[in-house]
Amino acid sequence: MSEPPPDDGARPTRPGAGGDLIRNPGPVSLGAHAAEAVGTRREPFIVVKGLVKRYPGALALDHADGVIVPGAVVGLLGKNGAGKSTLIKILAGVVQPDEGEIFIDGEPVHLHGPIDATRRGLAFVHQELTDVPNLTVAENIELGLGYPTFAGTFMKRRALRQKATAVLDRLGARIDPKSKLGTLSIAERRLVVIARGLATNARLLVLDEPTASLTEDEISHLHQVVRLLRDEGVAIVYVTHRLQEVYDVTDDVAVMRDGKMVFESPTAEVERSRLIEHITGHRAAAKMARWRPPEGNVPRDELLRVESLGRPGVVEDASLVVRAGDVLGIAGLVGAGRTELVRMIFGADRATTGRMLVQGDPVRVRGPRDAMRAGIVLLPEDRRHQGTVHTFSVRKNITLPTLRRFRLGRSVPIPSLSHERRASQSLIERLQIKVPNLESPVRNLSGGNQQKVVLAKWLESGANVLIFDEPTHGIDVGAKEEVYRLMVDLAAAGKGVIFISSEFPELVGVCNRVVVMREGRVVGEFEGDAVTEMALVERCYAT
Amino acid sequence: MIHRSSFTFSIRSSVADDGGGAPVTAVAAAPGRSVRNRLGVILARYGVLLAFGVMLLTFTILRPSTFPTLDNAKSILVAAAPGMIVALGLTVALVMGDFDLSIGSMVGFAAGAAIALMVYHSVPWQLAIVLVLAMALGVGIVNGLLVPVFGGNSFIMTLGMATMLTGLEYAFTEQATVFQGVPQGYVDLGAKSLFGLSNQVWIALVVALVLWILLDATEIGRFMYAIGGNEEAARLSGIRTRLLRTVGFMIVAFAAAMVGILTSAAGAGYTPNSGQYLLLPAYAGAFLGAACFRPGEFNIPGTVVGVLFLGTIGTGLTLLNLQTYLINLVQGAILIIAVLLSTVAARRA
Repeated sequence: MSEPPPDDGARPTRPGAGGDLIRNPGPVSLGAHAAEAVGTRREPFIVVKGLVKRYPGALALDHADGVIVPGAVVGLLGKNGAGKSTLIKILAGVVQPDEGEIFIDGEPVHLHGPIDATRRGLAFVHQELTDVPNLTVAENIELGLGYPTFAGTFMKRRALRQKATAVLDRLGARIDPKSKLGTLSIAERRLVVIARGLATNARLLVLDEPTASLTEDEISHLHQVVRLLRDEGVAIVYVTHRLQEVYDVTDDVAVMRDGKMVFESPTAEVERSRLIEHITGHRAAAKMARWRPPEGNVPRDELLRVESLGRPGVVEDASLVVRAGDVLGIAGLVGAGRTELVRMIFGADRATTGRMLVQGDPVRVRGPRDAMRAGIVLLPEDRRHQGTVHTFSVRKNITLPTLRRFRLGRSVPIPSLSHERRASQSLIERLQIKVPNLESPVRNLSGGNQQKVVLAKWLESGANVLIFDEPTHGIDVGAKEEVYRLMVDLAAAGKGVIFISSEFPELVGVCNRVVVMREGRVVGEFEGDAVTEMALVERCYAT
Repeated sequence: MIHRSSFTFSIRSSVADDGGGAPVTAVAAAPGRSVRNRLGVILARYGVLLAFGVMLLTFTILRPSTFPTLDNAKSILVAAAPGMIVALGLTVALVMGDFDLSIGSMVGFAAGAAIALMVYHSVPWQLAIVLVLAMALGVGIVNGLLVPVFGGNSFIMTLGMATMLTGLEYAFTEQATVFQGVPQGYVDLGAKSLFGLSNQVWIALVVALVLWILLDATEIGRFMYAIGGNEEAARLSGIRTRLLRTVGFMIVAFAAAMVGILTSAAGAGYTPNSGQYLLLPAYAGAFLGAACFRPGEFNIPGTVVGVLFLGTIGTGLTLLNLQTYLINLVQGAILIIAVLLSTVAARRA
């Protein structure tokens, strides 16, 4: 499903263009028009050019360029895995680039580590909170800066509080510096982390999805803070998944895809739909013919109905229906609650609200066993930690959920080795799992083959509803196509399939119906020809 | 759960797990295994057994008249039997990644409770045994509630249980040593022999066979190993992980109570807190066993070899008239070296 990156006409400039690149970066370069957008003539604070980062089997960052000028907010967009985090990690000194250069105030630098980056005036607010909940606000803000002390040992608490209060005031945050951080709301904690960055006299503040899990009021306050800091001359890089925020708060916007900086423009000059196009890449024709359930006069049986299932703060009020012959996709960004929802359906986690009906009858699912009895199985997202027992052989993994079928005798709870071998051998042949032999441990298999072992576990379980959570994650293209075919075959055989994926093209390519989740809610459903990547992306990002 | 898994990880990561490295491709693992690799596999599987053989040979050469005799073999077996039964029960919990530190106190509690019931409360000895074993199962259930159900850390929960059991033991016996009024039927259980071997040895053998079948042949055993390998994957495969882990604690407590009964029967009396000395050797035996036959996996045949190995070292070194401090030094060093060597070998293989 990997499509060639579309040609935007503007290719990133390769390094080697000489020193003039610092002043005149290539056309597609993070923040290239930021100075223009805010009408400043100040020298850039940071310039990066030709940054490359390779991981085994993946090019995480492919010659990324950027210019960061003081007093401007630059938005950075892109799908998960587009390379945003890698770029940020390089700036933070956490990851070292394989190629490329970083200039600060025109001087080439090496960022040796987070402390080095902090010292040079770079501050980062990561998506996950990196604060210490059992210390006070003031102690957190000054953490790592060296607390004011007397006699070199004893903390000067009042001086500490005063410094913290000064920084908090600058942000317009009414937070008591004496309170323990753990007692604050997520929004307040984010502000404290920002304050920590400011306390270091940061000249660049990088905010990685700072508004995730904030309320509207908290978001607008945060935006005020961002504008305030911009007006004070701080450079800001703002990573987000919400398009609305881009228009609310950024001056300039850039989009990354497949490790490349593919688009950049002053925010005021770009249309929403164009941003979406660049985020997804122009749609390539799906390789797989979309599954169409047999249409006839007979309505397809309803296999599973989920009504208002939820747990506060995780999944709210989610409803969906799976019919025989469905490949039902669940689209959404990471954190949208897709995995959480299917884990509740399977009983792996508890739901506090809602109910489920299997073939019209209400069922109580208190654990995976109940779900299995009701004919629902889950192929979990995390193969290594949830899908397989790594110390077990391929055979033992395949027969684990259905071991009772392989008894020597009806009431003899001893599995028959030959019976187990025959069954797992036939599954291995059917799914074309490449294994040296049945007794080799699964930890020695490649990712794609491990995924197939997980499929084999459940294929013969007699389940009517099979939930595939990111089944193609981290496996090669050939194996992906086999997984698609398998899901379609199951649907054709009258089963119901739920397919979670973060790659929209594969949902569009395979599913006859897709529901979209955002922030724990089902926010849309598309069927048949209405399932397009554009529609899914728009629904995922809309605020 | 976090605490628990960190313990289990520390055991497994050193031996069985590849430590989170990139998966080796199937092709690379299959053909053309080098001789060194093969040697590694053999060493990992049979290294402890090999060391056992070398040790037997050494003692035979050094003490040809006293070591390789039937009487000596019998006395080693009899001395090893109580520890063996405790270690065998413990193996079941260890397979699932659970530690039980209450086993030593359980032995003492069972001895005290059984003797007190018979001597102070005139309970028939058969009934006393049934009551004590039932109480042991109850303790196992409580441990099961504390650890797998409520999610307590198995180390500290069972340590607390150990202290409580010692308290209960004293409540039964008031810490008074008892050497009179123990029914003969009860004494015979532990003291008599069958085919020239003490009952204790036969019972240990039966326990080993039963648990071997349980763990290596039955569905339950497969599920238990699955829990030990990856509890979350096991749960998501429909296995009742909390129930089985509770059963594990019940088996451990039951085995320890059997030992309390057998040792108090063999000694025809009760001395306070008599089981603590069994706690650490049981772990030593089980861990040595996990270095044997199936490197990195606790298993019943391994535990049998491990316990006998340690028992034989003790006896052999005593026959060499080594001083106590030297016996301790050598015994500890051999344990460390044996487990470490097979760990290293397993990692290489």
